[in-house]
Amino acid sequence: MTIRIPQSAIRILLALWRLNVAEELQYRANLVASLLGTVFWIVTALLTLAVFFRHTTRLGDWDYWEVVVLLGVFNTLTGVIEAVLRPGIGRLAGEVKNGGLDLVLAKPVDAQGFVSFRRLDVWRFTDVVLGLTLAGYAMYRLGRAPSPAQLAAFGVTLAAAVVVVYALWVALMSLAFWFVSVENLSVLFDAVYEGARYPVSAYPGALRFVFVYLIPIAWTTTIPASALTGRLVPGYALVAAAVAGIAFALTRLLWRTALKRYSGASG
Amino acid sequence: MIRPGDWLRRYGALLRAAWLQDLQYRASIVLWLLWGVTEPAVALGIWWAIAADGPVQGYARADFARYFFALMLVNQLTIAWDSWYLDSWIREGELNFRLARPIHPAHEAVAENIAYKARTAGMILVVWLIVAAVWPAVRLPFGAGRWALTAAAVLLAAAMRFLISFATGLLAFWTTRATAIMELHAGIALFLSGRLAPLALLPPAVARVAGFLWFPYMLAFPVDLLTGAVHGAAVVQGFAGQVVWLAVWVGAYRLAWTRGLRKYGAVGG
Repeated sequence: MTIRIPQSAIRILLALWRLNVAEELQYRANLVASLLGTVFWIVTALLTLAVFFRHTTRLGDWDYWEVVVLLGVFNTLTGVIEAVLRPGIGRLAGEVKNGGLDLVLAKPVDAQGFVSFRRLDVWRFTDVVLGLTLAGYAMYRLGRAPSPAQLAAFGVTLAAAVVVVYALWVALMSLAFWFVSVENLSVLFDAVYEGARYPVSAYPGALRFVFVYLIPIAWTTTIPASALTGRLVPGYALVAAAVAGIAFALTRLLWRTALKRYSGASG
Repeated sequence: MIRPGDWLRRYGALLRAAWLQDLQYRASIVLWLLWGVTEPAVALGIWWAIAADGPVQGYARADFARYFFALMLVNQLTIAWDSWYLDSWIREGELNFRLARPIHPAHEAVAENIAYKARTAGMILVVWLIVAAVWPAVRLPFGAGRWALTAAAVLLAAAMRFLISFATGLLAFWTTRATAIMELHAGIALFLSGRLAPLALLPPAVARVAGFLWFPYMLAFPVDLLTGAVHGAAVVQGFAGQVVWLAVWVGAYRLAWTRGLRKYGAVGG
């Protein structure tokens, strides 16, 4: 398995994104809509927590503001998903079905890279900003200033989380090569990811095992939030990085295998 | 004048078409179903953890399990995607040929709802029965009268949620953000219709506000009927609320339909 990133790939991506941004700038009202949507989501999530915390003081041994830090991480990742993954690789299932993938494969670029990063919904990056702001505010309310080691661990685990989320998308969307008629595969991600809104320690043991080892969403929100609040020994960030590396390698392999099944559908 | 027999024939044809269309997309439908049950499943997981040290305001772990299983079923039986359909029908001109047919487009939507719900709720029932076989917490006592009342309440709730979704979708005649309004409605309904928690566990003031609106009648009331959490006068009150709010939404739908059609300039060919 080799991953070559030729300079031309970067040039192509930059050109695609430039066009993309120019196009999106025409629809500036979408910025307001996107912001309102995110604020509404955050308010809903905070009210949800408020309902739970009326009846308890801790959730899976996390207190209120610690869970809010986790919500901030969740929202940050939502921003990455909505800005990059859903508009890019999220469209794969439809293209496998109607043969649109032919046009991608005919291009002299790495198909997985092109499919994954071809489009940006730039306005949704506001979710990243708001998510990090929320996490920061929750840290302030906790009265904890993270040490440089904790901040570094947070950076590493958050980057690992992005890779794990990406790997999950590739794995799910690769199913399209086997189940051609299923166009709404991305719904499967939404269903699974719903579980990442709360610390995994809140769930029963069996589910916790699934979320850590099988569908690794524990690594997407619980671990970065733990790193920031100091629940995680900073050194464990390296484990997260290793998990991300393994997840990425496995999905790259899966993509290769899946692609062999594709025989084209347009024409 | 169309006779009742004709309506039976028409609905027979519409249902058959909808059922066969869904059959084509059965894998997609399973995914939507999965998406629909994760929210209550996650909520149940959290309440399960909270109730570890004892009942929460009278709700023990088993009560939460029964509540959220009933919620999954009732939600699937009453959910309506029609605003998304109408939004695309209106914006992309697919409403045109539907208007040209000698039957109101709402009937096609109703038939689609019946076919979709029969299939998905059937799946949930089967899963529920299997789970109940090994997990006594989610078993419901059998009572013919109560189940008949629940069926009636579910029917009223389904009719109301259909009209809410249809009427809101019709806002696409005026705005491009009709589905966003529906999502806003779903966000409020998360709390006020009992999707997140039994209404008794919300702050009393919020629960009181919910009582003045239609939200509890679209979900919480039929769910409580099914699990046996409401009795006596509250049952009568619940049905009265359902009927009143159904009437209100019928009115809203008719207003939006007649005004909207006058405003509609067809798009597409």
